[in-house]
Amino acid sequence: MPEQSDLELLVQNVVDYAIFMLDPRGHIVSWNAGAERIKGWTAGEIVGRHFSALYPPADVAAGKPARELEVAVAEGRLEDEGWRVRKDGTRFWANVIITALRDDQGRLRGFGKVTRDLTERRAVERALDERGRLLAHLVHAQEMERRRIAWDVHDDTIQSMVAVGMRLQLLATRLTGEHQAAVTRLNDTVDAAVGRLRNLTFRLHPPGIDSTGLVEGLTRYLDQVVSGDGLTYELTHDLAAEPPPETSITIFRICQEALTNVRKHARARAVTVRLASAEQGVHVWVNDDGHGFEHAGENDPEPGHFGLIEMRERAEIAGGWCAVRGNPGEGATVEFWVPAVSRGEP
Amino acid sequence: MSDPVTVLVADDEPLIREVLAEVLEAEPGLTVVAVAADAGEAAELAELHRPAVAVLDVRMPGGGAWAAREIRRRSPATRVVAFSAYGDSASVDEMRQAGVTTYLLKGLPNTAIVAAVRRAATG
Ligand SMILES: Nc1ncnc2c1ncn2[C@@H]1O[C@H](COP(=O)(O)OP(=O)(O)OP(=O)(O)O)[C@@H](O)[C@H]1O
Ligand SMILES: [Mg+2]
Repeated sequence: MPEQSDLELLVQNVVDYAIFMLDPRGHIVSWNAGAERIKGWTAGEIVGRHFSALYPPADVAAGKPARELEVAVAEGRLEDEGWRVRKDGTRFWANVIITALRDDQGRLRGFGKVTRDLTERRAVERALDERGRLLAHLVHAQEMERRRIAWDVHDDTIQSMVAVGMRLQLLATRLTGEHQAAVTRLNDTVDAAVGRLRNLTFRLHPPGIDSTGLVEGLTRYLDQVVSGDGLTYELTHDLAAEPPPETSITIFRICQEALTNVRKHARARAVTVRLASAEQGVHVWVNDDGHGFEHAGENDPEPGHFGLIEMRERAEIAGGWCAVRGNPGEGATVEFWVPAVSRGEP
Repeated sequence: MSDPVTVLVADDEPLIREVLAEVLEAEPGLTVVAVAADAGEAAELAELHRPAVAVLDVRMPGGGAWAAREIRRRSPATRVVAFSAYGDSASVDEMRQAGVTTYLLKGLPNTAIVAAVRRAATG
């Protein structure tokens, strides 16, 4: 039938839509040019695999792919918008329609899946809408508050405690025996508390965060915090323009968290930070050559550990994504993308 | 016995400048000749007393760096020691450019502060 082969030709060659079929159990049975363009796999690489390979690990763990098929079976079709994974591990914001395909007798033959990549469109829309404005405002307000708290603690609380410590040491020199020992212990307690408060202010308001540019700020942070201790760093970027302030803050804060982890956990010798303009946003990698994650990081956050969760939340609130990987012995990578669209002042 | 080493203390935080003066005064061979609460006062008192060492807060009204420059101009023999709550490279560089060679972080043990002041006086 010529009509059918024309249709096949069309499906096969459309590049703006990923159009492909799944068998009733969810294995990929066909793959068009659009699917290869959007998702990165060739037909040879992906046909035969289960379509959950296209979902972020957290969604797979939550049973999302299977649930989507169930809905499509029950209701005939399912439409969804969300993050999907490309072959290279990056993500794209997808509009997905899954249609249950039945034969004349109503038996399920499989599913048709049509996917569009809306990453850039969503980035632009969200930057311009009310939500984007609110987000920018919130990010800014949070930074101001953190800075104020850090300065208050630094200029007031810490100074007073330092003075108390100095006075206790002075007092100790004038005492003897058990009194001297007691006062010395008191001084040690004050001293330790000062150390903890310094760490707090440092985290709240790290060096570099007030810099005028993102790259300059990260460089200052890396110079001061990361280099030394046998750890070297490399920072590369291809940013043509400074991202909007709230985007820069989000990127800085996620990098800060990732770099804190590198220093604290990785036992690495080198760390690489890479920033690249991509899809109306900024794509960032923080990669170390340490011992990697002991357990599959992002899916089962451990209680009492907030760094990985915070990185992901920050990226997602900004309309982006964040993924963490690193098998034992291979070092760890935190990779994220956040939209960077200037709103322009009204 | 040689003459005691004369010291000027400048800090806008009263708790700090009082205890710092007491700590230094309690040391044999050191005597605190002046205590200032801001940069302008520090420069004036340095010119008046020509201390061997001036211990300056970095963030005080008028600026620790300004005070350091003024003291070096008005009392060239005075050695300047910075005493700061901030250890970031920008603050340290700023003081270094103002001619300060010793930078002490607040929170160091008193013994380390005293030792640094003595070193500055002889160095
Ligand atoms: N770069 C890394 N290399 C090796 N292991 C890492 C790395 N980053 C994180 N981890 C591991 O993942 C765990 C969770 O990290 P996360 O940042 O969530 O918590 P934390 O650093 O332990 O505590 P918090 O960030 O809340 O102070 C860490 O305890 C550590 O075991
Ligand atoms: Mg952490």
